[in-house]
Amino acid sequence: MEFSPLSSALASKSYERFADICDDIMLQVAAEGVSFQDWPYAIHLLGHIYAGDINSMRFLWKSMPSAVKENNPEVQAAWRIGQKLWVRDYVGVYEAIRGFNWSQEAQGLVAAFSDHYTKKMFQLLQSAYSTISIQDTSLFLNMNEDDVKNYVQQQGWIVDPASQMITVKKWPIVTEQKLNPSKLHSLTEYVFHLEH
Amino acid sequence: MEVLVVNIQGLSTNPGDLPNLHNILKQAHDSLHAESIRLLPLLDMLDPSLHSLGYLYILEACTSSALSKEQASAVVLPTARFMNSCSKEQIQLAPEKFISVCKRFKDYVMQLEAPMRGVAPMLAAIRKIQSSSEHLTPLHPEFLVLCLLSKCYKAGLSILDEDIFEVDQPKDLLLYCYYGGMICIGEKRFRKAVELLHNVVTAPMSVITAVAVEAYKKYILVSLIHNGQFSTSLPKYTSSVAQRNLKNICQPYIELANSYTTGKIADFETVAQKYQEKFDNDNNLGLVKQAISSMYKRNIQRLTQTYLTLSLQDIANSVQLNSAKEAEMHVLQMIQDGEIFATINQKDGMVSFLEDPEQYKSCGMIERIDSSIQRIMALSRKLTTMNENISCDPMYLAKVGRERQRFDFDDYDPVPQRFNI
Repeated sequence: MEFSPLSSALASKSYERFADICDDIMLQVAAEGVSFQDWPYAIHLLGHIYAGDINSMRFLWKSMPSAVKENNPEVQAAWRIGQKLWVRDYVGVYEAIRGFNWSQEAQGLVAAFSDHYTKKMFQLLQSAYSTISIQDTSLFLNMNEDDVKNYVQQQGWIVDPASQMITVKKWPIVTEQKLNPSKLHSLTEYVFHLEH
Repeated sequence: MEVLVVNIQGLSTNPGDLPNLHNILKQAHDSLHAESIRLLPLLDMLDPSLHSLGYLYILEACTSSALSKEQASAVVLPTARFMNSCSKEQIQLAPEKFISVCKRFKDYVMQLEAPMRGVAPMLAAIRKIQSSSEHLTPLHPEFLVLCLLSKCYKAGLSILDEDIFEVDQPKDLLLYCYYGGMICIGEKRFRKAVELLHNVVTAPMSVITAVAVEAYKKYILVSLIHNGQFSTSLPKYTSSVAQRNLKNICQPYIELANSYTTGKIADFETVAQKYQEKFDNDNNLGLVKQAISSMYKRNIQRLTQTYLTLSLQDIANSVQLNSAKEAEMHVLQMIQDGEIFATINQKDGMVSFLEDPEQYKSCGMIERIDSSIQRIMALSRKLTTMNENISCDPMYLAKVGRERQRFDFDDYDPVPQRFNI
């Protein structure tokens, strides 16, 4: 069965929307009564993983026919990544990514997810820690200790080799604060409503 | 029958002809039902989107008697396609027939053990039969059941986000809220789940129904997870049957809720063990486990009210975790989920608790407050209209008129008890 909209979505690298596209097409295909033998479950799972939608990923796994679960190693490998994310085994996610030889279809998605995940982990460390050991940082960011030292120093963090500790530097987030003149109109509406 | 098909083909294109066609179809109703599934080949001569009304009548007749598995299998695909492509104007002329066909469709896909086949067509059918997005149809709960069984929870959420103001049948609303609550639980949208389950439990009812009992059980557990507490007293507007009976029927859950408030995880786990089989039979064991996890979070959150900084080891001891590292992981996860504001200092093994950095001054926050105010204003306008409508309702005025007789005649203008219009 050809699922060409899926291939074009993959090719365009619009990964955030990929899982939604998969969901829509899956429901349409189901309505037509077509069998799900050849459905690309592995990349569907990976799409949910990329979007961070762990709930949908779990439900997809539950609704899969057991034949697919048992016989398709790529699906099992994708599920392992999902499991690690579900139990928040932050370091285990990287192991699950590394531990499989991904097919050509899946490679782009997995590589993009790996980068995306590393960035998210970095942001988490930045918001959650004031000091953290070099060892833990390298585990969380999936880099060896030297790479991690260079990486965090570029972000402005301070490395202290004596205590093997890194001091985290938080950059204040600056957002645009532009006020819309239509807000005045809204305020007038509210006062009118309250008066009546 | 051929004459009928010709009529359908001829009279469907012009909207002016539709009442005429409808009459012809109504007259043919009994003979159609006599033929039942044998009419299936006739459908190939019709177009579901152009000849929707005729197609509907024939389809309804096909499905009117009990079908074998093969017959059901043959009818499912044309029905699904019909639900997707039928003309809204035409099927709204015969809404009860459309609803019957859709409900039978759901029965067939369940019989075939393929609930996912029904999700997309049922959603399309809801859009066709709804008079507006605020209208709750009998098909809403059917759709949610299909979503639950096929594990397409996210598809169900799209319907749940719409506000409902118009309901055909109270039973539909109860089932909609119950199934909707289950979908929200699955998607971890606990605030909305509490709201929906609350609606089931406090709905007007003259007898206790199974839906209300099951909803109450889940309501207790979700309240614990989301609010960290549960009050056994139901609001004043709850029906008296519910107020009197629900607590007694759900005794194990009440006991569980009481042990939650002590904050002692060991006590809670004991009660959970004691009634484990009951919770399992009710399919609520997953929720019980989530309630246990939420206790750890609440206990850590409670620490923020007393301490500015605390060592990881102290957190572990106070919350009954096994090690400082485990405490660190718990706090990290809570920071990730936005459930706590804190920073971990690995060098000293300490956690500093912080204030919520939200200043409520940003543009984003203004947008959120604005949209909430707009929604409340719209709701307020709706309530005013409803109030006005009820004030003019003859049944209401008659009841008020009867009750006013109790007061002093001189104080009020007399209201006639009966209106002879």
